[in-house]
Amino acid sequence: MTQKFTNLAELLGREFLARLDGLDVLTRRILQGRLQGERRSKRRGQSVEFAEHRPYALGDDMRFVDWNTYARLEQLFLKLFLEEQDLTVHVLLDVSGSTQQGQPSKSLAMLRLAAALSYVALVNNNRLTVSAFADGLLGQVANLRGRVSVQRLSAFLLNLDSGGSSDFDKACRQLEAGRVGSGVTVVISDFLFKEGYQEGLKRLSGPRYDLFALQLLSPQELSPDLTGDLRLRDVEDSDLAEVTISRALLDYYKRNVAAYCNELSAFCTRRGSGYMLARSDEPTQGLVLNALRRKGLLQ
Amino acid sequence: MTFLAPWLAASAAAIAVPLLVLLYFLKLRRREMPISSTLLWKRAVQDLQVNAPFQHLRKNLLLLLQVLVLIAGLLALSGPVLLRDGSPAKRYVLLIDRSASMNATDVLPSRLEVAKDEAGKLVATMRTPSALSLASRADEAMVVAFDEHARVMCNFTSDKRQLLSAIAAITPGDGGTRIDEAILMAKAFGSAPGEAANARGSGVQAQLELFSDGRLGDAAAHRDEAGASSRPAADAAISLQEGELAFHAIGSGGQNVGVTAMQARRGYENPQEVEVYATVANFGTDLVTCDAQLSLDGAIQSVQSVQLPPTANDQPGVLSLTFALEMPTGGVLELRCLPKSSQNFLGSDDAAWAVLPPPRNLAVCLVTDGNGPLLSALKACPLERLEVKSPAEFDAIDFGSLPPEKGYDVIVLDRHAPAKLPRGRFVVFGSPPAASGATATGSLENQVVLDWHSNHPILQYVNMANLFAAKAYKLSLPADSSVLAEFASAPALALVRNQGSLFLLAPFDCLETNWPFEPSFVMFCYNALGFLSLDGTQTGQLALPVGAPFSLEGLPTQARGVVTGPGATTAVQVNASGILRFPGTGRVGVYRLELANLPATTFAVNLLSAQESDIKPATRLAVGNQQVLAQAAQQKGNLELWPWLILLGLVGILLEWWVYSRKLRL
Repeated sequence: MTQKFTNLAELLGREFLARLDGLDVLTRRILQGRLQGERRSKRRGQSVEFAEHRPYALGDDMRFVDWNTYARLEQLFLKLFLEEQDLTVHVLLDVSGSTQQGQPSKSLAMLRLAAALSYVALVNNNRLTVSAFADGLLGQVANLRGRVSVQRLSAFLLNLDSGGSSDFDKACRQLEAGRVGSGVTVVISDFLFKEGYQEGLKRLSGPRYDLFALQLLSPQELSPDLTGDLRLRDVEDSDLAEVTISRALLDYYKRNVAAYCNELSAFCTRRGSGYMLARSDEPTQGLVLNALRRKGLLQ
Repeated sequence: MTFLAPWLAASAAAIAVPLLVLLYFLKLRRREMPISSTLLWKRAVQDLQVNAPFQHLRKNLLLLLQVLVLIAGLLALSGPVLLRDGSPAKRYVLLIDRSASMNATDVLPSRLEVAKDEAGKLVATMRTPSALSLASRADEAMVVAFDEHARVMCNFTSDKRQLLSAIAAITPGDGGTRIDEAILMAKAFGSAPGEAANARGSGVQAQLELFSDGRLGDAAAHRDEAGASSRPAADAAISLQEGELAFHAIGSGGQNVGVTAMQARRGYENPQEVEVYATVANFGTDLVTCDAQLSLDGAIQSVQSVQLPPTANDQPGVLSLTFALEMPTGGVLELRCLPKSSQNFLGSDDAAWAVLPPPRNLAVCLVTDGNGPLLSALKACPLERLEVKSPAEFDAIDFGSLPPEKGYDVIVLDRHAPAKLPRGRFVVFGSPPAASGATATGSLENQVVLDWHSNHPILQYVNMANLFAAKAYKLSLPADSSVLAEFASAPALALVRNQGSLFLLAPFDCLETNWPFEPSFVMFCYNALGFLSLDGTQTGQLALPVGAPFSLEGLPTQARGVVTGPGATTAVQVNASGILRFPGTGRVGVYRLELANLPATTFAVNLLSAQESDIKPATRLAVGNQQVLAQAAQQKGNLELWPWLILLGLVGILLEWWVYSRKLRL
């Protein structure tokens, strides 16, 4: 899959990339990054944007005293400015075996979404870390920043190998252990984890990070086009399920899919996280430019 | 409705149905399909099982269709039969008409073939004595083919193959139809147990199934509303119960033209001139134009184009034809009717034949001591040679060394009974010779003739009412003699066959009777010579009705030969008495008998029956004491249901395929 593309422009299209330049990753938190970035932080610091005045206290830096106010009022006030800090964006991409299923392939759609979000993060000088997981983290490219890192990003994304079983909780533990600062974590997956997604999402949705769960399912998973007596084989763990397709069974399946997605959505809402369900046959451009903006992940 | 083999189907169902369900649930060949995760599917299956434990059976249309197909197949295997007559008889007698009218082709290929097909269908619906079916319910049938005579093709049996082969062995004939013999035979056999009678004996009444066009010579009323009153007395002995005879009418009727009478004879004055009289009849409802073609030995002699009026008041349109031709030699005359319309459904009656030997006068030897009236009477007959010899001269003749041209056709013995006689034909007045086998056991006086067979050729136009015999011998005749005239207590005229010779015995001296003064005496002499001579005997013998045996006497004993008839050649052999009998005259046409060292003899067999030529099928029969109506076509026999069940199964399979392909099973 990835061998067909040599760079992001080829994967996403130049026009789409150009439109991505106008977007930025949105977070609802006032962030505290390590480097001065282009984003207002809660910390008052050196910048050009005035925040407020406060009375001088012993030990304050005399450089921030507003001497003009002292001249008029003869009282010492400090002039505070909002400090602009950088944003850390974590993209956690599912590359387990289940993503290879579906027509069109979920893995390609996920890769496009991850590439688009990562590109947006890079062009806005955010700190970007992209991780691929299946049975734990399989690969990671960390601390990318600026357009100069697009090459590294594309080299990582376009050379990912997908397959194998998945352990979401393990991947989340590994990611959480290496995560510092604050920012946004975007999980792109089908969230079809037999051991559950709750523990993993709990780990990722800490106070310092916004979490956005982007669930991507294929049309066949949402509305199966199956018939006959089948032995369904799980591509990740080779688990078998023998079914005789009937209308009733399909009804139950669709109800279960809807319930599963609703449950995930409700879980994310309760944790203050964002959630969006997408289909692998939807155009990535529309998802990024429209749906994700509506969901508040991008602006 | 009943089933021919219910236990067979039940056994198969007991095995197949659970097997199908078992295979369906346990031995499914499932298609393997990779999916992202079985997580949601397993939940769905669990939900389904919890909420609808019988969902598979209730909503799986394909399984239901498969069960339906299986049930249809099993039912077909059980051989269901719809008994449409409502009163199933366990013993059938299949009476199949093979008379001439059954050769009509108004129903294709012919009425007889259709009748055989119908009978075969009935046989096919009989319940079989399968090991898995109810053995006591096995049906039996016998097959009787009949025309003027009935013939048992197969005795009671439940072996369908045997019955069907017996039906197939029935060959078409050109004879008339008499059903009384067939019914009497069927009832006689019907009261006897069959081959597989097992528990059922003769108490089971046999159901008579008649497959015929109803053109029965002895069962009138097909168009005669008078019914029983017009029936001959022949079937008065037939007693049928209500519903015992089922009549399956065969045929649809149509146009037919046939020759119903034909006679050819040489002129008395000019034997070389032959006159042919014929009657041609039209049995259809349309005016028919046809050519009547007369041929001599295959060469057309004359053609008359005639118009035959249509049937009116149930009487056929009849036209008489007369032909005259010079015929100095013998030959076979054929009169063939060639209708110009395409519809002529019966071919057997389209032609008639007459065999005429060459004109020939007789050589007669009168052995007498002197009998003027007899000599005068013989001289009045058209004879080639009449020799008068005294008894001594006659006894001195060595017949073994007599050349053929000096032999005699008829020898008249007047009051002379030699101890030894050559083989030949004799008219004897007085005491019978020992060679005749008859003996004179006494004498009679003052006898008058009380009765005589006026329809016998010898006594044709002979009135014997005035014959008075002052003296006569009392004859004791051999067993196979025929008495032509009778005195009060003894034969007055007798025809005796013995050791290849034929004797016409008149046990009196004609000079002691008043007969020479009667005109009938000359007539008798003329008829007697004609009958006794080869010429005379063959005239009647050479044109036979269908089925009548051909016989020829005075032949070398044990001589072998062949009879070549229409479509068949039969080997024959003369018996020890020098008589040849050939009964195989079942088809119309010309037959030729060839014996070693003897000239060939030709004879003709003709239908000449208006009853058979009228091919309009009857819908009502008067048989015995019953009026029998033809069964409606849809009520004939039993209806086998297995083809419909197989069709249902096929429809089920198609439906299953359609449902599967349209995913309607979801």
